[in-house]
Amino acid sequence: MRRIGILVFCVVVALLIVIPPMANGYYRSLFYITLLYVALAYGWNVISGYAGYFSFGQVTFFGLGAYVTAIVVTKTPLPWEIGALLGGVVSAAFAVPLGYLMLRLRGPFFALGMLGLARTLQVAANSMGITGGGQGLFLPPGSNALSVYYWTLAIAVLAFAGTWLIDHSAFGLRLQALREDEQVAATLGVHVTTQKVYAFIISAAIPGLLGGGYAWYLTYVNPVSVFSTSIDLQAVAMTILGGIGTVWGPLIGGVLISQISEALAAQYPQAFLMIFGGLVVALLVFLPRGIAPACAAALSRRRARAKPAEART
Amino acid sequence: MSAPLLVVDNVTRTFGGVRALDGVSLEIREGEIVSIIGPNGAGKTTLFNIVSGVLRPTSGDVRFMDRSIVGWSPQRIAAAGIARTYQIARPFVRLSVLDNVAVGALTHERTLERARAAAREVLEMTGLAPYADRPASDLTITQRKRLEAARALALRPKLLLLDEVMAGLTPTEIDAMAVFIEQLRERGIAAIGGVEHVMRVVMKISHRIVVLDFGKTIADGTPAEIAADPRVGEAYFGTSLEEASAS
Ligand SMILES: Nc1ncnc2c1ncn2[C@@H]1O[C@H](COP(=O)(O)OP(=O)(O)OP(=O)(O)O)[C@@H](O)[C@H]1O
Ligand SMILES: [Mg+2]
Repeated sequence: MRRIGILVFCVVVALLIVIPPMANGYYRSLFYITLLYVALAYGWNVISGYAGYFSFGQVTFFGLGAYVTAIVVTKTPLPWEIGALLGGVVSAAFAVPLGYLMLRLRGPFFALGMLGLARTLQVAANSMGITGGGQGLFLPPGSNALSVYYWTLAIAVLAFAGTWLIDHSAFGLRLQALREDEQVAATLGVHVTTQKVYAFIISAAIPGLLGGGYAWYLTYVNPVSVFSTSIDLQAVAMTILGGIGTVWGPLIGGVLISQISEALAAQYPQAFLMIFGGLVVALLVFLPRGIAPACAAALSRRRARAKPAEART
Repeated sequence: MSAPLLVVDNVTRTFGGVRALDGVSLEIREGEIVSIIGPNGAGKTTLFNIVSGVLRPTSGDVRFMDRSIVGWSPQRIAAAGIARTYQIARPFVRLSVLDNVAVGALTHERTLERARAAAREVLEMTGLAPYADRPASDLTITQRKRLEAARALALRPKLLLLDEVMAGLTPTEIDAMAVFIEQLRERGIAAIGGVEHVMRVVMKISHRIVVLDFGKTIADGTPAEIAADPRVGEAYFGTSLEEASAS
């Protein structure tokens, strides 16, 4: 079973490597945006799904990565990939003091604190010289979108594999324990603060690494484009729909929602958001824990039914 | 006699105007089973909260193996060898029964696999093995009580604080729990139980009984001494303990 899984995984990744160069610009963008959101959803899933700290501001790190890259590209001769990497490092480093500070807050206070943080950085980017103010920064045009695509594919694959590892590790169990009951986890020997901060660093590094690619893809960054709450909301909706705190949830939800929203936006540009919101709500009414757990439950029911039959033969 | 494992030294804890603990002192030795009895609100849970690091004392000292543990984080205290259960069971409901127990085992096992193996042993011992792969939310109240004990035991503690593990159990289950507590001694684990009015069992399994009332220790002695103390039984249980334990 596991060997088949690894095989399928390798085939899918191989297809994702070979198809886009042959695809036209529209599909290439669709592939890129889908992978971007899948990876963002994986980033959000660690702190919010596994550790249970709902964040509405992980876009902070996405914007940070985008701006760091834009500054590197416009002010130095370095390539954008270095900028994007630096964006990830800066985000991870920023997440350390921020995590110790913000993760004292709980529930809605943490969620709103993170939302406020993203707004604060947006305002800062709007008013500082180095970030180009409200105009933002313009990157060299004629960029090669394929390099951005591969960068994002690599991060998405790493995020998926990393999530699988977390889900099968002591670290993952500790996160889930503190998500369920922080005080009980502590009295069972879990270093709750440290574990939460680790999770937060991972959930900051992933969007931090992705932001630079987005800046290069758009060929500009401004406060509205890279600190937008709607980026966070999409990643949140995808993860919840796919299955929060699961290995497959962000992938399933990410692929599904980006395709649906793409199709809807093309077909009903006016009513798009309304239909989209209604669809997400409807799905969640029927599958409150998301698609991945529902599939897992159905699978284990089938296995349970198959077992006695096997025993008889 | 060996040196005391735990020393609670003149501990006071107030909540606003309420003195939940008022100058409480007690000692517990290795392998000793001590029951703390007292009416509702006497301060039993508060005492456990302080020893396990969930709360800090307003004044006084707590020493474990000759070191003051006041101000230590709960996880540090847990790793040092003090485990506790909660009066109202608090399982990690969305995790499997096995993983609930594996969390505690991670203090001494490096990998998840080894922690789960250790957890399986504890589940065997506590009779929860058949439920290992079920989510903890499936457990009945009684099984949840047992899970509390199993999780704490997975820490391989030297001292186990059992907050009313017998409350709400049927007589048969109470006997099973009593056997479990007596076995702790063979494993070299000391236990303090905050015990509700299951006097029959308390008299039988305890080496020592401490009686708390309104945050004060009003008696501390062997079951026989406590039973003979007229203040204890009549003032706090409305009947003498000898009668209560016979019922
Ligand atoms: N966190 C808290 N905040 C305020 N008051 C508290 C707190 N914890 C305990 N108290 C108060 O301290 C006193 C002792 O409570 P505690 O829970 O320790 O008693 P107990 O002996 O465990 O009682 P029970 O048999 O009901 O479990 C009570 O008056 C209680 O209301
Ligand atoms: Mg209590």
